[in-house]
Amino acid sequence: MGIGDIWNLIAMQPMINILIVLTSYLFNNFGVAIIVLTLVVNGMIFPLTIKQVRASKAMQDLQPKIAELQKKYGKDKEKIAREQMKLFKESGVSPAGCLLPMLVQMPIWIALFQSIMRVLAVIPENLVGLSGFLYSWPMVYTTLPLENHFLWLNLATGDIFLALLVGGTMWVQQKMVMSPTADPKQQSQSSVMLWMMPIMFAWLTMTFPSGLAIFWVTSNIFRIGLQYFVGGWGGLFKSESKKPVGRDKKYKERIAQVEELPSGGADIVVPSSTQEEGSSDEESGDKRPDSGGGYTKSLRATKRQPRKGRGHRRKRG
Amino acid sequence: MRIRNNTAVVVKVSLLVALLLVGLTVLGCYGTKTSPEGGSGGVVADGTLFLAPPIKQAGGFGCTAPSVDGKLVALSAADGTRFWEVPLEGSVSGGGFGCSQTSSPAAIYGSPAVAGELVYVGGYNGKIYAINASSGALRWVYPREGNLEPIIGGVIVALDRVYFGDANGMVYALDAATGDEQWKVILGGKIWATPAISGEMLYIGCFDKKLYAFNAVNGTKQWEYLAEGAIVSTPLVYNDTVYIGSFDRNFYALDAASGHLKWQFPAEKWFWTKAVAYNGTIYAGCFDGKVYALGAENGQELAALDLGSAIYSWPVLVDGRVIVSTEKGEIYAIDTASNQETLLTDIGEAVYAPLSAEGGVIYIYSQEQNLYALNADSGANLWNLTIK
Repeated sequence: MGIGDIWNLIAMQPMINILIVLTSYLFNNFGVAIIVLTLVVNGMIFPLTIKQVRASKAMQDLQPKIAELQKKYGKDKEKIAREQMKLFKESGVSPAGCLLPMLVQMPIWIALFQSIMRVLAVIPENLVGLSGFLYSWPMVYTTLPLENHFLWLNLATGDIFLALLVGGTMWVQQKMVMSPTADPKQQSQSSVMLWMMPIMFAWLTMTFPSGLAIFWVTSNIFRIGLQYFVGGWGGLFKSESKKPVGRDKKYKERIAQVEELPSGGADIVVPSSTQEEGSSDEESGDKRPDSGGGYTKSLRATKRQPRKGRGHRRKRG
Repeated sequence: MRIRNNTAVVVKVSLLVALLLVGLTVLGCYGTKTSPEGGSGGVVADGTLFLAPPIKQAGGFGCTAPSVDGKLVALSAADGTRFWEVPLEGSVSGGGFGCSQTSSPAAIYGSPAVAGELVYVGGYNGKIYAINASSGALRWVYPREGNLEPIIGGVIVALDRVYFGDANGMVYALDAATGDEQWKVILGGKIWATPAISGEMLYIGCFDKKLYAFNAVNGTKQWEYLAEGAIVSTPLVYNDTVYIGSFDRNFYALDAASGHLKWQFPAEKWFWTKAVAYNGTIYAGCFDGKVYALGAENGQELAALDLGSAIYSWPVLVDGRVIVSTEKGEIYAIDTASNQETLLTDIGEAVYAPLSAEGGVIYIYSQEQNLYALNADSGANLWNLTIK
């Protein structure tokens, strides 16, 4: 059994059959089935996604401090790197936390994506190929071939409106998680990310079956909602940050705890959790580039407090 | 591990992940192309074999324009000498990776039909062509302007008319000599099936899970039978009974005049191919890899011959034996007296196109674009050619 067979057995077959059964239950509407399955899969990998979004948000919150480190140490990259590592360690933020969940999710997305492509089966070759993926459930056999019209769309062909929707929602999603940075190099990299992906996916949408675009749009909207829940509009609007709750609050608190370290803390400016939640930027006298917390004083200038509770490296839970 | 600039690394890795995602998205299209290739079976008439090769799409990611033009080829049935070939023009309406249907290739799925001096063929590009069988000259094309929805089933010719259905669910009857429209009827779903005719009754299956019977002269509906799955196979009319398989995994026997169910037989997978009948027995190939030998009157299972892989192409009857090809290219002969199968040969290439036979020779056209002429008795390879 090759890798392809294993992939088909554990990923493609379940996804394809679930998609067909969903279509059957949802009035033989394949478009609705794609939306529902996308939401279900999003729900299933929600713990990973929320972890990624929170890590991204935490990283976003640290950006002003990183900028200040860069400003403070100028061209001493060794020192900057050291201080950044210290900062990440003390605030409980891991750069890998943004990427690992994304990598874990990718096979699931690829399977869902391939399933949609296969189930569309608009020509005999595809339908013959699809037959090899079917479970022996009666419903699966009687539901196929699927009707490929949904609203005004032919799900087998590209659609310009959906292409714009995919590009637009992807841009919004990217913009929400974009970290403001003073470094022009990073700014340009961020800018490339902000525009390149939406444009590429919009173009892909034009050339791929629109069933796939429905999957992308649904995913993007789900992620936008999730990101709003975690961190408000983020970089999209320059407004007050959404009040952190639950684990996000813990992140904030952990970042704030850096402020309270007796000696081992990073040589940086830190956020004040009280300012974050209570006072305005004007009160703090600091111009913030985003909607994150207020960063007003350097650690050296802060009155040091004794460590409280379980300490700054407590486990996230 | 020393990280010089974590933020920059995150951005760069994110960029890489994004590119990887796009790459995998494109790769996800692999094996799921919606560009039709077609590839008809051969039809032999007066020593000439007519067939339409599949359109092999250009490789790459849209860097080269995909092929859209098909062709109809006429060959000597004796030795494969090419008499003529006629290009059938498709059209392109967009670029891209070919995952989306941005073109209307003249891919031919249904086997050509020969009547008199003309050979008829319908294409995925929504055109029906009538071509002089001797010279290859185009006699007429329908519609003269524009295109119908894709024509995936084959055409049949009877009562001086050409009958076919399209993916819009429309059944057409055209004047065989001129291509003028005689009548058309809309059904409740796509039509991929080739119709069948018996007397003045036309039978055709549809994606709406129904088998329809029409008066072939005026298009009046006579009856319809609702199965539980789509019908893409071609009906077999034998002894006043219509035999048809469905995607619901059942094989049905219906009264040809009234459409009343006589019996049904459950299998394990889809029925796609047309059945054949001989001496009171129906032979029906199935996607479960079996050929079921069923009593024509009562549907009793006489034998279930497991041939190992799905049966997609139409079988043929040669001297009291049913010749069947599996999807993997194993060619079997089923003795209708004993209902025992014998492996004639294994060509080792996928076979989707209907088989054809004449004068003790079987013609098999593989998806690899190779045409095989086999001795029907021994399976010996008489000759083979690559027809592109």
